[in-house]
Amino acid sequence: MYRVELLPTGSTTHLTPGWTYVPDRGFDPAKAAITPAIGRKRGIRDPGRADLSSRQNNAIVRHLAELDRENHHDLQIPIPTKGKDAARGSRGKVTSNVRRILQSQKTFRNYLDDEEAALAQQASTTVPGTSSAQQSATASTSTPSHRASLSKITKPGTTTTTSSFSSLQTLHRTRNSSAILLPRLDSNNPRRRRHVHGHHHHHHLPQNPNELIKTPHDNDPLLKSYLPPAPSDRIMQMLLAEPPLTYNASRAGAPMSRRSPRYFCCMCGYWGKIRCKNCHLRTCGLDCYKVHEDSRCGAFF
Amino acid sequence: MAPAKPRPAGRASVAKVQSLPDKTFIIDNGAYTMKAGYAPNHLAPDDQADELSACSDISNAIVKTRGNRTFVGSQLNTHVTDWNEMSFRRPVEKGYIVNWEAQKEIWEHSFFDEKTVRSKDLRIHDPEETTLLLTEAPNALPMLQKNADEIIMEEWGFGGYLRCVGPPLNAWNDVQSLFGDPIVQEADPIATPRECLLVVDSGYSHTIVTPVYKGQPLQRAIRRLDLGGKHLTNYLKEIVSIRQYNMVDETYIMNEVKEAVCFVSTNFAGDMGQTWKGNRKRGLPDLSEGVMVDYVLPDPNAGKKGFMRPHDPLFNAKKRKGGLSGASAEALSEDALVLGNERFAVPEILFTPSDIGMKQAGIPDIIMQCLSVLPTGLHPAFLANVLVVGGNSLLPGFVERLETELRQLASAECAVRVRCPQDPIRSTWSGASRFATNKAEMRKVAITRQEYQEHGSSWAARKFAGAL
Repeated sequence: MYRVELLPTGSTTHLTPGWTYVPDRGFDPAKAAITPAIGRKRGIRDPGRADLSSRQNNAIVRHLAELDRENHHDLQIPIPTKGKDAARGSRGKVTSNVRRILQSQKTFRNYLDDEEAALAQQASTTVPGTSSAQQSATASTSTPSHRASLSKITKPGTTTTTSSFSSLQTLHRTRNSSAILLPRLDSNNPRRRRHVHGHHHHHHLPQNPNELIKTPHDNDPLLKSYLPPAPSDRIMQMLLAEPPLTYNASRAGAPMSRRSPRYFCCMCGYWGKIRCKNCHLRTCGLDCYKVHEDSRCGAFF
Repeated sequence: MAPAKPRPAGRASVAKVQSLPDKTFIIDNGAYTMKAGYAPNHLAPDDQADELSACSDISNAIVKTRGNRTFVGSQLNTHVTDWNEMSFRRPVEKGYIVNWEAQKEIWEHSFFDEKTVRSKDLRIHDPEETTLLLTEAPNALPMLQKNADEIIMEEWGFGGYLRCVGPPLNAWNDVQSLFGDPIVQEADPIATPRECLLVVDSGYSHTIVTPVYKGQPLQRAIRRLDLGGKHLTNYLKEIVSIRQYNMVDETYIMNEVKEAVCFVSTNFAGDMGQTWKGNRKRGLPDLSEGVMVDYVLPDPNAGKKGFMRPHDPLFNAKKRKGGLSGASAEALSEDALVLGNERFAVPEILFTPSDIGMKQAGIPDIIMQCLSVLPTGLHPAFLANVLVVGGNSLLPGFVERLETELRQLASAECAVRVRCPQDPIRSTWSGASRFATNKAEMRKVAITRQEYQEHGSSWAARKFAGAL
C-alpha cells in the first residue's frame, strides 16, 4: 500500500521546473494541457478511454446513495413534544448510559466508521493467529479479488448445459477447497486428489499461490470436512460456534457467473441500444435520443 | 475463551431459571414496520390465523405531513388523510436501530403509554413482569447491540430480555406443511426448529440470506445484498419523475404504487418487448395490454385512494372529448401514471443489481455464494428448503423467479424448493412466538434483570453472542 501524498506546505507553491503533481481527475478539457498523458485529440474523440470508469463509478455511487435515502430532501423531524406525563413506561431516574444513548445523534455511517477503526486498530495491535476459529472465519469469507479470480476460472465453457453443470461442480469444489482453507493433499482421498489435479490441468493455473501451502490449520478437523454426505455433528457444532462476521464482511460479493451488463434507455426504459456521443447515456432509438438531446443531455463532460 | 469461569456462570443460569417472567413480549423491529405482540403461553393448534392474531404491525416511523403535523407510529394509519409530500424519520437505519431517541418515542407511544396504545394486547403494563424478545438483523455492529441492551434494561428494566438474530426464528414455524413434507405427529407438541432452512429475508433496507441449522444461524455464510424495498420505491420514484410527473417528494404514494403494480418478471426480455412503444406505431398487434397499467393517483381533496386499472390508450382522447361534452368532472380531475416496463424493471434490480450499476450479485447468486462456504453435504438440504420472508416476497412472481434461477445455478442432483409463508412479513414474529412457548430453550439464552444488574451490558452482549 504505497501512496504518494503531497502535504500542503503553506505559502510555497510548487514551481519546480519541469514537473508538477497534478490531481488526476480524468479528462478535463480545461486542464488537458497540463495532463499530457492523455492526448488532447484522443481525449475529445474518445473520452471513454480516459477515466470514464471512475466518473461512471462516481455517478453510480451517487445514484445508490440517492436510492438509499428516506426522504428526497434533508430535513429534521423533531420528536413531538407532549405534556410531561409521568404515565410513561420509563421511571423517573435516567442512567448515564441511557442519557448518552438518547442524546447521541450518530448515524449508522458514524457507527460503522468507528467499528472499522476499532477493527483496524485491533488488527495492528494483536499478533495474528491467536484464534483459529476467527481466522478460518475471516479466511473463508476471503477477499473480493479472490472471489473474482475464482469466477474467472470457471467462466470459460459455461455455454452448454452439460459443461455448465460440470463447471458448477468444479466451482463448488474449488470454492470449497479454498474456503475450507486449502487442505493438504490427502493420499487416502483419491477423489480430492483427482480433483486438484484436474483443476491444475484444466485451468492452467500452476502459479496459483493459494494452492497447497502448508498451514498450521491443515490438521484442523474443521478443514477436513469435505464430505459429500451430511457433515458430522462435531463440524456442525464448530460451524455454529463461529463468531458473526463483521458488517462489511457479510456483504455479498460480485456475481459468480458474470453476464454481460444490460443497458436501458434513459428515457423510456427499453433496451439502450445507442449511446449519446456527449454524455454516454443510452437511448433506445432516435425518438428517445432526440428528446434526450434537446432537453436532458448534460453535455458538460 | 469459554471455560474461563464455568462455575459462576452455571450457577447464575440456575438462579435465572426461576426468575424469567412468564409473559413474553416480542418485537420484530423492522425498519419499515414493527411486528409486535405477546407470545401465547402454549403452542397454538395448527391455525396460522389464530396464531398471528396477537401480532400487529405498526409503522416504525415518525412522519410529518405537508401541513407540518407530526404523527408517531400507528397514527399513520388512523390519523393521516393526506399522504402527499409526507416525510419520514426512521430510527432504524440499514436494518439496525440507530437512533434511540426516535425509537424510544415510537415504542412508548405504541407499547407503554396507555393513552396512545392501540389495543390492550399491545400494552406492556409492567416491564418488570415481562420478558422482551427483540429481533435484530444479522451482523449487527457491537456498539449498536450494546446500546440496545443498555437502553432496554436501564430505561425500561424488563424482567427478562433476549436479543436474537431475526431470520433463524423462522425455522420454528410450521415449515413442514409449507414444503409439503410429511408431518410427524408428536404426542406432546413442543415447538422445535426445522433442521435445515435457508432464509431469504428481503426487507425494507436490505436482503439477507441466512442458512439456519437447528434454529441457529451459520454465521460464516450469512450474506447481505444492500437492496431492499426502500430502494425499489426510490428507484420507481426516480423513473416516474423522469418520465412522467415529478414525484420525488411522494415517497408514501410511490410505495403504494409499487405495492400495487410491481411484479417480478419471469421473462424479462419478453415483457420488455411487449411494452415497447414502437409496437403500436408499427401497426403490430398491441401486446402491451397485459403489462401496461394506469395507476390513478390518490386525491386527498376528494378523499380518494389511489388504485390500479388496465391501461386505456385512448384515455386522454376520451378525456378531451368528455371535457367538451361536459362529462363527469370526476374523470377529468384524476391524474394517472402509465406504468409499463417500470412494473418489472424496478424489482428486477433485486435479481440483477448490475442493472443499476451495482457490483453485488443478485439474490440467486448470493444464495450460491452463501452455500459455497458451507460443507457440500449441506447443500442439498438447504437448497430444498429455501424460505422467502420479508415484504418484497409479496411481489408477484418473486418466488417463481427465484426458484427458476436457483434451479439453473444449483447442481442437478439437488432438489430446489422455494416457498413463501402465508404472511411473509409476520413470519419471523410468529416463529419467535413459537420459540417463546418453548420455555426451556428460552431460559438457555435469555437473561434476567437481576443478571444484567449483576454482570452489566458487556456480559449481556457476550451472552447473546453465545459465548457464555
